[in-house]
Amino acid sequence: MKCLEFFKKILTKKEGKEQRVVNSLEDLNISEREDFVKQMKLGPGLSDNLQKITDIFGNSFDLNIRKIKIGTQQIDAALVFLVGVSDPVAVEKILRDLQISLLELQLNDEADLLIETITRQALNNKTVVVSAQFSEILKKTTTGSAALFIEGYSRAIICETRGYETRNIQEPEAEISIRGPRDGFVENVFTNSSLLRQRIRIPHLWLQKFEMGSLTKINVAIAYIKGLASEELIDEVKSRIERIDVDSILESGYIQEYISDEAMSVFPLIKRTERPDKVVFGLLEGKVAILTGGTPFVLILPATFEDFLKAPDDYYETFPIGSFIRLLRYIAYPISIFLPGIYVGIIEFHPELIPIDLLLRIAATREGVPFPVIVEAFLMAFLFEVLREAGIRLPKAIGSAISIVGALILGEAAIDAGLASPPMIVIVALTAIASFTTPDFAFGIAARILRFVFLFLGGSIGLFGIQFGILILLIHLCALRSFGQPYFQPFGPLVLQDMKDSIARFPWWSLIFRSKLVGGREPQRQKKGQKPRPPVKRKGE
Amino acid sequence: MRIEKIANRQLWFLLFLMRSTIILAYLPVLTSADALQDAWISAIVTLFGSQIFILLIALLATKFPDKTIIQYSQLLLGYWPGKLFSLVFLWLFLQLSVVDIRIYSEVLITGFLPHTPIIFITGIMVFAATVCVQQGIEVLGRIADVLFILFVFMLVGVVLVPLGEFDIHNLQPVFVRGWGPVLRGALTPVALISQAWVLGILTPATLSPKKVIKTAMTAEGASLAILILVAIITIGVLSPQEGARATFPLLTLIRSVQITYFLQRMEVLVIFSWGFGLFISVSTFLYSGAKGFSQWLKIEDYRILLWPMAVIWVFMAVGGFKDIFALNEFFQPAIFAPYGLALLIFPLALLWLAYLLRNTTGRSKGD
Repeated sequence: MKCLEFFKKILTKKEGKEQRVVNSLEDLNISEREDFVKQMKLGPGLSDNLQKITDIFGNSFDLNIRKIKIGTQQIDAALVFLVGVSDPVAVEKILRDLQISLLELQLNDEADLLIETITRQALNNKTVVVSAQFSEILKKTTTGSAALFIEGYSRAIICETRGYETRNIQEPEAEISIRGPRDGFVENVFTNSSLLRQRIRIPHLWLQKFEMGSLTKINVAIAYIKGLASEELIDEVKSRIERIDVDSILESGYIQEYISDEAMSVFPLIKRTERPDKVVFGLLEGKVAILTGGTPFVLILPATFEDFLKAPDDYYETFPIGSFIRLLRYIAYPISIFLPGIYVGIIEFHPELIPIDLLLRIAATREGVPFPVIVEAFLMAFLFEVLREAGIRLPKAIGSAISIVGALILGEAAIDAGLASPPMIVIVALTAIASFTTPDFAFGIAARILRFVFLFLGGSIGLFGIQFGILILLIHLCALRSFGQPYFQPFGPLVLQDMKDSIARFPWWSLIFRSKLVGGREPQRQKKGQKPRPPVKRKGE
Repeated sequence: MRIEKIANRQLWFLLFLMRSTIILAYLPVLTSADALQDAWISAIVTLFGSQIFILLIALLATKFPDKTIIQYSQLLLGYWPGKLFSLVFLWLFLQLSVVDIRIYSEVLITGFLPHTPIIFITGIMVFAATVCVQQGIEVLGRIADVLFILFVFMLVGVVLVPLGEFDIHNLQPVFVRGWGPVLRGALTPVALISQAWVLGILTPATLSPKKVIKTAMTAEGASLAILILVAIITIGVLSPQEGARATFPLLTLIRSVQITYFLQRMEVLVIFSWGFGLFISVSTFLYSGAKGFSQWLKIEDYRILLWPMAVIWVFMAVGGFKDIFALNEFFQPAIFAPYGLALLIFPLALLWLAYLLRNTTGRSKGD
């Protein structure tokens, strides 16, 4: 091939002494292939062009080249598309248009006129593009378009025929709510953006598309409400996303790790969710969402500590119910971090803090347990984590086996065998149940990691260690920032106005203002004085 | 470098926590002298006495809203005299926090962790404070926000729990021994106002330095209101004699009461809130010390001084006093009052004099 000459020169320059033999396309590495395709141009010969296509695709079985004759002069042409990512109905329609409609039109031989007639009059696809670049044609073809090559023309017509199987919209299994919408994101950015559009029906919801991963070329879109989200935030998000230069993005987690403020923290600084209502709630607060192709998980940022303890139900149920379940979570989360550490600290260092009867009972049950409390606690907490991890990845049919093994065999038998004491089992179980209340998976895992740290602190220096741990944890939380926003607001810094929607949720008509620090360019959410009142005077009274 | 600022609210919390901690720990009106059942009157006297000093310190600080005390004492007294003079403040920050840490460590050692070496506990407290100050004054302010709420909750518990055993007869007879004991009781707590010199460092770091006077005076007033309350309750529940004998009256107080069978040991509450308060005051002193010292040495960033300073503080806290009795001795009015008051009155007088002189001469020059 002619173009390979170009590459031979580059490679000799690049690699100096060690000369690689490049005789065909097959000798090129992946990035060189990409560069090579970029500078390829269409020639006038149809069979040449088709040969190049098959060279690049390497006879992949889904590559389909349909040869046809078009127009009154019966010019040779070929429609190239990938089976599976293109819509068969749309492709058939193009073929029909080319073979039948085109006959009814008068065609000249002049190049522009033929291509123009076809694009203007014969084809009626959503988008039709004419291109002479192989790179563009190939990019479109791989995402489902069909390309029409015509003998004697060094340009091809690309028709949008995208159509492939995606998962149906379902309720996300990992984020269940009792009350609230039942739809969840899927793996397609366009479907996901439609879920947002259905809920925010104004043109000011802006969706900007990026392409990420030099090999995966996945669609990534950032969504925000123009005029509400602060411009600095949008610019910051864009600049951080544009800075990413990787070969592949398989999940939004990749992006999260590249754009997070603090890489080493156990706490997630960006929230991810499968629920469109959560994303919309964030957008309406002036936040920015990142939709990633190939995954149902959408990122919302900036995120604060309290965001992770909010569940959609808090807002959908009436405020006393919402506040109650929110408060439960705020109590349960610290329990899931501190309880085993405090228990071990008290038993090992300050048994005098426990009333004497209770202490005697605990001491009696610990009779015969060969380990110190700290070892016992580590053992049981570790066992529980292993059980939990095992349960997640098991097929559902075997899942019940895990609960039998876990509950009956390990729980009962560990006590019977004298490996653990019943109070310890109670503590570990209580901690586990408390940790299940965390609405966000990653945030829950942060608590699980910290639990072991506090277990260690409590077991080595008692309550003083716990206090030290709390202080260090507080320093860490107060020092964290997510896209410039203090992570631990509204507690540190104290923002009284936002306290209305943190530990408790105040009624909707009192939540007049958006979150103060994140709240974007228009802080007021609604009019004041919308508290419902009984009618002053009824008609006819 | 980003300029770090704290809100005046956060300064309020910092001052409140600092000042309340020493009260929780020590209740100096009762323990330092012989005021006995009139200790709460000493507390009221302290309230008035301290407000005057706070006003003078804060007023001076607001005259130089963008300068720390290290900088403006050089401005007022001249370069070398000012430089030498400002060492007094650095020494003060060091010593006050060292005393704080040592007291807390002693309590933990005697009450809770008898087998732990004191240097370990001191080290851990200073380590936490150093990590905090390393993150900057903003983070310290935010932690003050969080801890203030916890502190107030615990304080309410501490005050409410013993109320059931309050005996008004313990407070009588009121004021029979005249002003002598009352004033002696107020001496040490008033001398402790020298803590407020941190205002000289913190004022330029606040968002609105002009409002610092109000911030400082209300914070001081609130913490002393708590002193009065705690003094009354301690005397009312324990007898004045028992309260005065105790090294840590509030701990004794909480130990003496038992609400129900299950809640026997409420002193954990006191220890925890004291620990949090101590953390705040040590961090504030460490920040003030490091910031001040970095300006004294003309270093841009105070952070490089932190860790060496922290090490010195740990050894000062461990080696500075032989035992808890040496500390007690130190807080006797006869020793601490002249010392503390000298550190309060002498610099105040000098700086104010220099300020007034400078202003009058400056004006005459202008005319």
